[in-house]
Amino acid sequence: MRHGKLSQASSPMALRRYGFILSFLAAPLVLYVVFVIAPYIQAFQIALTNWKGISPDFDYVGLENFGRMFDDDVFWQAVRHHGLLLLVMPLATIAIALFFSFLLNVGGGQANGRRTGVRGSAFYKIVFFFPQVLAVAIVGVLFQAILRPDKTGVINNALGAVGVDPVGWLINPDLALWTIMGVMVWQAVGFYVVLFSAGMSSIPSEVFEAAALDGAGRFTLFFKITLPLLWDTLQVGWVYLGIAAFDGFALVQVLSVDRGGPDNATTVLPLEIWRQAFTFSKYGYASAMGVALFFLTLTFAVLTLRVTRRERIEF
Amino acid sequence: MASIVLNGVDKIYAGGVKAVNGLNLEIRDGEFMVLVGPSGCGKSTALRMIAGLEDISGGEIVIGDRVVNHLPPKDRDIAMVFQNYALYPHMTVEENLAFGLKLRKMPKAEIAKRVNEAAKMLGLEQYLKRKPAALSGGQRQRVAMGRAIVREPQAFLMDEPLSNLDAKLRVSMRASLNQLHERLGVTTVYVTHDQVEAMTLGDRVCVLRDGLLQQVDTPQNLFDNPVNLFVAGFMGSPSMNFTYAELVRDGSGAAVAFAGYRLPVPDSTFAEKPGLDRYIGKKIILGIRPSDFEDAVAANGNAAGWVRIPVRANVTEELGSEINVLFTIDAPPVEHKDTVAAQNDGDEEETTLPLSGDKSLWTARVNARSHVRPGQNVELVVDTHNLHFFDVDSGLSIGHEANVGR
Repeated sequence: MRHGKLSQASSPMALRRYGFILSFLAAPLVLYVVFVIAPYIQAFQIALTNWKGISPDFDYVGLENFGRMFDDDVFWQAVRHHGLLLLVMPLATIAIALFFSFLLNVGGGQANGRRTGVRGSAFYKIVFFFPQVLAVAIVGVLFQAILRPDKTGVINNALGAVGVDPVGWLINPDLALWTIMGVMVWQAVGFYVVLFSAGMSSIPSEVFEAAALDGAGRFTLFFKITLPLLWDTLQVGWVYLGIAAFDGFALVQVLSVDRGGPDNATTVLPLEIWRQAFTFSKYGYASAMGVALFFLTLTFAVLTLRVTRRERIEF
Repeated sequence: MASIVLNGVDKIYAGGVKAVNGLNLEIRDGEFMVLVGPSGCGKSTALRMIAGLEDISGGEIVIGDRVVNHLPPKDRDIAMVFQNYALYPHMTVEENLAFGLKLRKMPKAEIAKRVNEAAKMLGLEQYLKRKPAALSGGQRQRVAMGRAIVREPQAFLMDEPLSNLDAKLRVSMRASLNQLHERLGVTTVYVTHDQVEAMTLGDRVCVLRDGLLQQVDTPQNLFDNPVNLFVAGFMGSPSMNFTYAELVRDGSGAAVAFAGYRLPVPDSTFAEKPGLDRYIGKKIILGIRPSDFEDAVAANGNAAGWVRIPVRANVTEELGSEINVLFTIDAPPVEHKDTVAAQNDGDEEETTLPLSGDKSLWTARVNARSHVRPGQNVELVVDTHNLHFFDVDSGLSIGHEANVGR
């Protein structure tokens, strides 16, 4: 047997096949190691130094960077913002997306023996997906125009028409983070509408029909049938959005006043890292923040997968 | 419990396809009514309209004494069993059974009582805490039944509930269904494409084709007195043998002649089938059930009205308790739209192998004691009391009470 296998493995056919498979595996692996794993490891190393990023010389300073980080108010402010983002943004996005996808897929009741969405749901599905297609920078620029603090802003213009004074969406420190969160939700909802729609269409329609015969109205149908059967998809969405809550760099960078302002009211860790590294040339310190962010994200992902673990649902 | 009455019910889908066409049907209180027909005949659509899962395009559906046309499914007080069971995958068996009762705000004690009763009746007690994924097909089917039973509805609607089970389980579930109906006595509408299920389960059977009602009657009457070629060909397995024949009358009495054979037609047949005598000298379609044949040797001499015909057996199918003898007769196969439709009861377009050329392939069901082998010549006897005669143009059964004067 062994002999047979050996000769098979060394035959040109087998070699070509393994070579083919390996080439597919190797390319992403190399990319992943070079561009993800290696920088992470390097970040851990740089976090222990006082490297300035421009000179080749640096000294190891131990945990000094971390000590400084824990005393840094801006760092804690950014972490607090992440906490808030993590609490509100995924929840709001998932809630809104679920509501829309339920209406688009089940909410319309029966027509021709199939459960359908509200009138025009195919059109809405496309429209909801638009924000996902736009680059974040474009979204930022768009919303700058919408959220301008004077009457030239789209929203303030509309508010002015009904006699409300202009609101400083992005310049009011108490409001700015919430405004940015709103934009994040706006951009994310479309994708999750599509994701949840796919999840809903994999539920056999007979289950909904059986529930309708059992006496379920739309409300019960949603909370007792749709939601539990969509749990796996929801969990995936939750993890994605949670990880997105640890980012937010691009939007804050483009949209916020003074990059994370006013007065650091909207700053996030990636933005701080970027500022420390490229503005203040403190690569060691920036890397320490990067390490902190790494552990925050990791903790979140592990916790979520643990907490939401349930037995798989088979249809 | 209640009766269900359909008055001229139509279902027209977008695009003008008429899935159900002017269906009139009365399902009596406590009756087990089977809707049967080839796929696409509208039987499921009719059932779903009774359930309220499909809009009614025309006509009227009455459950009990209420017109339910515009009532949502939950207010019609009916329970349905689906082909794929449609259990709630995230709930245990117990929760599945109790769901409908909880939604109807029934007291907890009553729910527990009904769930336990149903579980006991269906032998599901030890599975109450399991999820559907941990159950076998038969068990899931029983849970689906249980979900209908606990509701104690006016009527059960069943949409091919047994077709996802394997053959052996299907037979035993069929028996259980029969017992269950006897015990509960709930009005039941049962959809199937399997004519054996229809024959064994139904108090009455309703045969549908292309959305049109063909015949409603007891299974035995459907078998003995089919109203047209379609029902004749659809009910019974193996299906009825057909041929073009000529009805003649001469000095020795009336007879039907086909493919070189000549079967005498008893006078009693003319009495039973008014109008048959008008076809004397004309072409008709003759139908003979395979079960009305017998091996002349096994039949042990001539009973009255049994006529011998010699044939050559092409194929024999030995089923243990009986043998199906397939033989060709020297006449072109009957290509009536009704017989073609009746043969097409499967989902796929099946065409039989052209083994028989332009001859008709007939089947005779004979006693297993007959030792007929393929290629042998064999003498069969035919029960001439059970000959079926159909009009060549309309395909209607000649002399059937529903067709007299039509």
